[in-house]
Formats: sequence, C-alpha cells, structure tokens
Amino acid sequence: MIPWEGLTIKTIFVQGPVPGFRLILVMLVSAALIAADARFEQLASVRSTLATGLAPVHWLGNAPYRFSDWVADLFVSRGDLEEQNEELKTRLLILERRALKYAALAAENNELRRLLNSSESVDDRVIIAEVVGVSPDPFSHEVIINKGANDNLRPGQAVLDSQGLMGQVINTSQFTSRVLLISDSSHAVPVEVVRNGLRYILLGNGDREQLELIHVPDTADIREGDMLVSSGLGGRFPRGYPVAEVSNIVKEPGESFMSIQATPKARLNQSRLLLVVFPPQENVDPVPEESVEAESANNDGSGGAD
Amino acid sequence: MLSVISYPLFAISVILALVLSISLFPVGWFEFRPEWLGLVVFYWTLRAPAQFGVVLAWCLGLLLDVLEATTLGVNAVSMAVIAFLVLAMHQRLRMYPVAQQCLVVFLVLGINQMLVHFLKQFLGADSPGFAYLWPALTSAIAWPFVAAAFDNLNRKLG
Repeated sequence: MIPWEGLTIKTIFVQGPVPGFRLILVMLVSAALIAADARFEQLASVRSTLATGLAPVHWLGNAPYRFSDWVADLFVSRGDLEEQNEELKTRLLILERRALKYAALAAENNELRRLLNSSESVDDRVIIAEVVGVSPDPFSHEVIINKGANDNLRPGQAVLDSQGLMGQVINTSQFTSRVLLISDSSHAVPVEVVRNGLRYILLGNGDREQLELIHVPDTADIREGDMLVSSGLGGRFPRGYPVAEVSNIVKEPGESFMSIQATPKARLNQSRLLLVVFPPQENVDPVPEESVEAESANNDGSGGAD
Repeated sequence: MLSVISYPLFAISVILALVLSISLFPVGWFEFRPEWLGLVVFYWTLRAPAQFGVVLAWCLGLLLDVLEATTLGVNAVSMAVIAFLVLAMHQRLRMYPVAQQCLVVFLVLGINQMLVHFLKQFLGADSPGFAYLWPALTSAIAWPFVAAAFDNLNRKLG
C-alpha cells in the first residue's frame, strides 16, 4: 500500500466495467453448466476434483465436534473409565456368546444352501466411516462421511449404522463421500417382510421418522410391528439388513392400496459411526454345477434403488 | 467506502463463510441459517466494487454448489446476481443508514434465495412454501455485525 494513497483526490462516481455484460455472460455459462450437470455425467469428475479441494472445509467444519470430543476425553475420571471398561467387557461377553451361536447358525445355513445347490452366503466386507457433515440444504437428506475414493468407495455402496440400513453412497471425492439417506424423498429401497417374505418398495418422503411402503394391496398380510429387511433385489443393497418397522396402517375403503408408514430402524440423524458395505467379490468360480436359479440376489439385475 | 482492503481478510472471510455454511448450526434451526457466503459477496462487492464483481461471485457460488451438492451452476448464478445488484446500486447503498442497508440485504439475498429455489424446483426438487426465505431475513439481521466486524479488521489489516 502506498502511504499517501488515501490522500489522492478520488472522483466520487467511479464506475468500473459495465457489470451487465458480465452478468449475461455468466448466466449463459451457468445455463450450460446446469443443463450439462442435470442431464449428463461428464461433470462428475469436475465436481469430484472441486470436492477434493474443499476437503479442508469439511475438516474445519467438523473440527469443533472433534475438539469437544477431545476435551470430553481429557476430563474423564479414572472411576468412570473403569466403570465404562467393565460395562464394555460385559457387553462384549454377551455379544461373543451371540456370535458363537451365530457361527453355528451360519454354518448350518451354508450347509442347507449347499444342499439346495445355491451359492454360499459370505459375510459382507465393511469399512467404518465417520459422519463429518450433513447436507446444508434442509430439504435433502444427505450426510458426508470421511471415507472416499482413496478407500475404494464407489457410488452405489450401501451404508449401515448399528441398527439398520442408512442409505447409499451417491458420489465420492478423494477423501469424503456423500451418502443419500433412505428418508430422502428421491430414495427407495426394495424390502421384504420378515414374517412372510412379501416384497415391496419402501419410499423416503422427506421425513426422518417415517418412511412409506407403497403399492400394498388391501388384502396383503401385513401388520403393525412387522419388520422390513432389505430384499437384495435390484442388486444394490445386500440382503437381510433391517430397514424399518411397520408403524401405522390405514385402509381406505375405495382405494386399491393401503397407506402404510414405517419407522426406520437406523438412527438417521444421530449415528456418527457408519459402516460402508463392499459388494461381494465377483464370483469367478461359481458354485452351482447345474444352474438352479435360486434368487441369491447380489449379481442379478441392476439399478432400481435410485 | 474503504480506501484500503485486505486480501488475506478476503480469503479468510470466504473460507469462514464456506465452513459456516456446512457446519456450526443447531440441527433443528437449519432453515434459519444466514446465507453466509451471500453476505460475504455482498460485503466485498459493496466495499470494493472495482476489485470484486460478478465473475468472482460466480466462482464462489460454484464452490457452494459443490459443498451443498446442488446442480453445478445454481448457487453460482445466484451469487453472480447478488454481485450484479450490489454493483448497480453501490453508490446509493453506501449513503443509506444501517436499517435501510439491512432492508436492501434482505431484498437482495431474498432474490438470491428465490432464484436458487426456483432453479431447484425447475430441476425437480419438491419443497412448497416460503420457508426458503428465512436465510434472507437472518442474513439481514446479521448484516450490521458482519459489516462492522469486517470494517474493523479491514482498517487494522489493510
């Protein structure tokens, strides 16, 4: 800065370059950009690059929470820690016992599947991710997680929390990805009723507490309290994860479908640690000798969930 | 009407606005969050119309598009409109008392929010009602504080 700059006489009505022309130019560019982004896929890489550049912003945005976590950790008393440790050990014991039972069941299940000549079910490979941000747009239900293309995440992968299905990865940058939650109004999950295997589509409707089960005929056997699990049809979500519980059924005389609400099992706006499921490796050496087509999901069909 | 402006302050204000627009707001109050980046664009085009203008505002809007995962260009063109409106009336705007400035902030950011909303509806979003105008109101309330803080820092750092 020149020290006497403030002293030079300035004309009051300085007029820069005409902004109108630039505005029109910018509007044209934007129109092209909007059309390209809304209708074609080419800009995904541009978005991904910019998002990678903006990763520090996400990091900074999450910093206060990290800091408060850190402070909270700093001031935990020894007694509390011991208590927590004890509690965790008890819990671990309980879960281990269940896991033992589960191992036996899984073995038995695989044995039965082998007898039926269908492919064995393998345990899904998962990676743990942390929520580092939520979508600033109150009308879209998305969260941002701290795992990205560097951890081999791809759009389309299912995301769970400890209670149930959360949503799916919709785009990734180098270090972060966006997850569309099942409650978003543009999201749908193919589900089945655990009790009797009826298959339906579960729609999000912009409400985090309520999902909507559609096209259920008036005569269908469905009750309040029925558990809905992902059916694996469509090939996007792995089969058998709890998604929601039927909470309310309204039969309207004259309508051909019932209107059914379900409460999501996953804690959509509370969970901070999520599991991202990797699709099973493509079976290069498929088991079935004579191809009995059991609907083993996972590698038939495509799309459908978005 | 500052004779000196501080470029580092500009950079910091932009980063701060971007961070604030994705974080640090109580969850239930999301729709009342001020449009921080809009305020930053408003401030800098008002204070330094020769240096900051339509194109820079457009670039900042593009960053916001990436952060919000909206269709690329929606926030960008809306930010450019803010800059254009401020450029068109910055000479009068400086003479206004604070209350009147707040009113203009409300109108200009309201136009910005409306444009974003219309474009999103046009592209298939579904959110009826006028709730999308809340950010314009809260931004207008925040304007005197933001402007005073930046003016102070500009004088110290510039």
